[in-house]
Amino acid sequence: MKVFRSHLLICGGTGCQASGQPAVKKALLEELDKRGLAEEIKVVETGCNGFCALGPIMVIYPEGVIYVSLKPEDMPELIEEHLIKGRTVERLLYHEPTTDEIIPTMQDIPFFAHQELRVLKNRGLIDPEKIEEYIARDGYAGMAKALTEMKPEQIVQEILDSGLRGRGGAGFPTGLKWKFAAQSKSDVKYVLCNADEGDPGAFMDRSVLEADPHAVLEGMVIAAKAIGSKQGYIYCRAEYPLAIHRLNVAIDQAHKAGLLGKDILGTGFDFDLEIYQGAGAFVCGEETALMTSIEGKRGMPRPRPPFPAVAGLWQKPSILNNVETLANVGQIMLRGAKWYSSIGTEKSKGTKVFALTGDVNNVGLVEVPMGTKLGTIVYDIGGGIPKGKKFKAAQLGGPSGGCIPVQHLNAPVDYEKVVELGAIMGSGGLIVMNEDKCAVDMARFFMDFCQDESCGKCTPCREGTKRMLDILTNITHGKGKEGDIELLEEMAEVIKNAALCGLGQTAPNPVLSTIRYFRKEYEDHIRNHRCAAAVCSSLFKSPCQHTCPIEMDIPSYIALIRAERFEDAYKVLLQTNPFPSVCGRVCDHKCQSKCRRGNMDESIAIKFLKRFITDNAPRPKIEAVPVTRKEKIAVVGAGPAGLTAARDLALRGYKVTVFEELNKAGGMLVWGIPAYRLPRNILEGEIDDIRALGVEIKLNTRVGKDITFAKLEKDFDFVYLATGAHKSQKMGVTGEDLKNVFGGVEFLRDFNNNEDKWLKGQKTLGKKVVVIGGGNSAIDAARVALRLGNEVTILYRRLRQDMPAAEEEIKAAEEEGIKIDYLVAPLKIDGAKGKVASITCQRMKLGDFDNSGRKKPVAVEGSEFTLKVDAIIAAIGQVPDMSFIDKKTGVEINKWDCYNVGKGFKTRTDNPRYFAGGDAVTGPDTVIAAIGAGHQAADDIDASIRQANGERAYERPESEKIDIPLIIDEETEELPQMAMPEMHHDTRKKSFAEVELGFKREDAIKEACRCLRCDASV
Amino acid sequence: MAKLTINDLKKIKEKVHKEMSLRDGERRVKVTVHMGTCGIASGAKEVMDTLLQEIEAAGANDVVVTTSGCMGLCSREPLVTVEVLNKEPIKYEYMNSNKMRQVFKRHILDGEIQTPFVLARGSEVIK
Amino acid sequence: MKAEDNELLKEFTSGQIDKLNKIISKHKGKPGSLIPVLEEAQVCLEYLPLSVQKKIAKDLNLPLSRVYGVVTFYSFFTMTPRGKHTVRVCLGTACYVRGGKALSETLQKEFGIREGETTPDRMFTLETIRCLGACGLGPVVVVDEDVHGRVKPSKVKEILAQYS
Repeated sequence: MKVFRSHLLICGGTGCQASGQPAVKKALLEELDKRGLAEEIKVVETGCNGFCALGPIMVIYPEGVIYVSLKPEDMPELIEEHLIKGRTVERLLYHEPTTDEIIPTMQDIPFFAHQELRVLKNRGLIDPEKIEEYIARDGYAGMAKALTEMKPEQIVQEILDSGLRGRGGAGFPTGLKWKFAAQSKSDVKYVLCNADEGDPGAFMDRSVLEADPHAVLEGMVIAAKAIGSKQGYIYCRAEYPLAIHRLNVAIDQAHKAGLLGKDILGTGFDFDLEIYQGAGAFVCGEETALMTSIEGKRGMPRPRPPFPAVAGLWQKPSILNNVETLANVGQIMLRGAKWYSSIGTEKSKGTKVFALTGDVNNVGLVEVPMGTKLGTIVYDIGGGIPKGKKFKAAQLGGPSGGCIPVQHLNAPVDYEKVVELGAIMGSGGLIVMNEDKCAVDMARFFMDFCQDESCGKCTPCREGTKRMLDILTNITHGKGKEGDIELLEEMAEVIKNAALCGLGQTAPNPVLSTIRYFRKEYEDHIRNHRCAAAVCSSLFKSPCQHTCPIEMDIPSYIALIRAERFEDAYKVLLQTNPFPSVCGRVCDHKCQSKCRRGNMDESIAIKFLKRFITDNAPRPKIEAVPVTRKEKIAVVGAGPAGLTAARDLALRGYKVTVFEELNKAGGMLVWGIPAYRLPRNILEGEIDDIRALGVEIKLNTRVGKDITFAKLEKDFDFVYLATGAHKSQKMGVTGEDLKNVFGGVEFLRDFNNNEDKWLKGQKTLGKKVVVIGGGNSAIDAARVALRLGNEVTILYRRLRQDMPAAEEEIKAAEEEGIKIDYLVAPLKIDGAKGKVASITCQRMKLGDFDNSGRKKPVAVEGSEFTLKVDAIIAAIGQVPDMSFIDKKTGVEINKWDCYNVGKGFKTRTDNPRYFAGGDAVTGPDTVIAAIGAGHQAADDIDASIRQANGERAYERPESEKIDIPLIIDEETEELPQMAMPEMHHDTRKKSFAEVELGFKREDAIKEACRCLRCDASV
Repeated sequence: MAKLTINDLKKIKEKVHKEMSLRDGERRVKVTVHMGTCGIASGAKEVMDTLLQEIEAAGANDVVVTTSGCMGLCSREPLVTVEVLNKEPIKYEYMNSNKMRQVFKRHILDGEIQTPFVLARGSEVIK
Repeated sequence: MKAEDNELLKEFTSGQIDKLNKIISKHKGKPGSLIPVLEEAQVCLEYLPLSVQKKIAKDLNLPLSRVYGVVTFYSFFTMTPRGKHTVRVCLGTACYVRGGKALSETLQKEFGIREGETTPDRMFTLETIRCLGACGLGPVVVVDEDVHGRVKPSKVKEILAQYS
């Protein structure tokens, strides 16, 4: 008998077979053969062992080790490691799931916990094709009561008292509709159910019909009794085959059980109904159009009056109710009007079902009491916006509705409030849109829909929607004109007033509502050809470039990396950015947030690639630019905005002098950003290049003190004020002025200025340091304090996802061992011996939404606690320090302590010789925004000079032509972003050496290959 | 089905309730596959087919399979509810054929809840 | 077979025409029967050219203009032949915001046709659709009766390969 040293038991169960066991087995046998192990090791195919989702599975005996999710390519490693070297392959090992994991109940899950089920009470619980299961949950009991105990007038009264309003959109009181039809005299009357759910994004009715069809039938029988009808129709769209199937089954069962047809429940009441399949026309959701359609004609609306309650289907009195409305009726009969109206708002009773979709984590059907806050639906039930994106607006009511933007997240959703905000309740489609959606494009989308679905009967709708669509399309293509917005508004009013039916009357709503809330976006499209969401692709080459504040030619330098032409790539960087190696390290990379690749897997690592170029290509040589112009320009402040403006102006032939109060140039780049993120020599290199152009930087010169404004005005023709925001905001608590309480930027500045003393311990924070704030400055201060050997805790008053700091910075801080305590705010600081000793804080909880879409922290009474500390760093924001400005200059300072920029100007102040930009105008912003501001200032100063001289506008000299290769891959495989290699956190937290190590050549090229080249026009 | 009277409605209700909680060997486990259009589109039908095959292969005639409509949380579909007699229902999310096989073998047959696939336990509360 | 069916025989088999006759006689005389007749006829004949409309008009005793009006009004009906498979990209709002547009563009490139057209080999007809109510799974592509959810442009080829 042969003896084998190992047995490999490979599972041959169906599950493993389906997940590729045959290929694994083949690879395994080949590998064993290749290594001559076939005689020593036996492969046995076994039956299923139950871990089908982890297949293919293999157990190796005698060790009894289980390997899971095997792939053919794992075989060589597995055999080499396990069978030859005797080491288990960790990554393929089966890990026992933690058994003590707590399974939440349905009520622990916010999606379910915040809902109140009435219409959906049977969801997921009954088999929709078994009438018994419906009956078992009180089905048809309401109908039984209505048929046996109630007179028609009582039924109508009960519905009136309940306050039930039509759930199809307009919210007309259902009882009133029934009352009118009941009063109409006719031998034939019809009860119609509108299941032509055509609003894109709405699927409540489909879901109710599929999950609980009998509830609708029951409602219809009760309605029939109330108005005296014997025949009903359900008008259901043909796109819902499953709903139609289940309705047919339900009707059939109800017939057999005597719950439909003749003599229902032996009460002598007759009612029968049929399904009528719609053939695809949105307008048929309108009641008169729907009736015309059932009559076998083109589904066009007819003018009212006569109202359907008088002359509806085939000119007989008819009522039309929507699926959700009818599904409420049975329960109102059974449990009474009072029960029904016990929830909701004053004028909107009961619950509403919403189809929650779009950019939201939990997509699905949501039933909540009327008056539930929009924010509760989006954030608590919906679980917020995926991928940490920002909420922009919720679109309610489909093509007839409008959007509700972030500042109204606290709005209680009911009929009245929604109309007040410019939307309509509609049938309940609630589409969440994130910051990547363009308001103009959404308006165009809905107008396209309405124009397409307009039946053509009345001119305002037929022609008006077409004209409005033309204008909107033009705007999204960059062909918008001044006056377009006003024209849209005017046409919208006309269509609203003059169209025959609901479709036309509501068609302008999405346009009006987006203009109401996002007028700036329309203007930005028309005037600047900018689509901030990077959606309207006719306006730009690529989303990344369009999103970059200085429109760097990102696709080109990435393509050049792929082609390994790094020098050329560097030249492309310098065309727009004087600080590429800085930006390659500390930019907030807005470009990546709109990268198309991000929709597929992850965005391109644009920032890291930029750094790779500057790390690996020689920096192009800079030569001084001859001064060709007579005007002299002074720049105040040697930060990124000032230096960028100085460089641009020098390149145009101006003599530029930069005045800097401190002893180094760089502004926040040197004083605010720690060296472990931005090594000093890197920054100095780029500043030296600006000097090399001929720009003079005068350090240690405070304007207003070391040089007077009078002298400045005498020596220079124009002044650019780019003085930044270098003063920390106060917390406003007692004890803030004690020793060892620092502002965030003041601490960083002190450290950077006196690095030696801090490192040698001549200056010290103590031991226990608390940093307050959640922005990048707070994280920077904390990480610096940690590197000085302190124990650091960050206190932040909201949650992690609300922190303005970059995600990667927060993560790095956590890895380095900084503790972050959330939902905490400082109350007071106490000192001892003239120095800080403790901080008393208060716990916060999250309340209503603020205008940024984040929940406001609210103090929890009695939650005060005190921490013993040696130093406190308050980094809760910065403001400019304007104390140096001489009033005589006429430069105005506004209420935010920033330079006031003259009306109609981007950079010019109230004195035409003074321009301003950067953080000192906008408040604290990013490096890239400051560079952008510098470019703008240079443009404006130059333009103003040329205009005054009567010269032609500046024309950028033809830059060196760099040929950009175009390689587009046929197939794109999903691949995550290349990770940045980093120094290990144990090492890095002891030094100020750069944390991020930079891409290797092959990694950079690989990452560059992930670019989809959306700039290419084929 | 014969034509019903009002009394019959009550009887049916009682009968179904009784069946649900009946303590006999015939219905030890009830499995509900949530099959709205959304569920089917994300693969509920394959999950259902797999389950039926597995039941047949194992000869597990004490397992009752039923379908139901959408449970509301469309983005986690396919969803499957497993209700072992006298135990809380367990709802599984993002099911596929292999997960269904595993749940069938380990949970339905062996009683081990497959926590990694679980959405929640219990049912929604009707207020 | 009646003489007037000759025109129909150019495009349809006699078996199909028999079915059409049955459909017409099933609904004839009922109020509002035109749309159900057209719906069933389209399922059986795949499309409704003028010849079919003429026959239906005559048999239901309706003016041709009425039939033509209805056929052109509702998006369900088509007057041109269709591919073996119908590929519909949902461009309802929920799918649109989740990338339906890119999906439609990929398909147009893949087939070399525009929306509403049929591939030269009559395998696929490409359409867009206005919301299927499967918004939870957007973006959605429907091939015949099969709904494919959470489709990414890169997965389109894989899906189409299942149909031939």
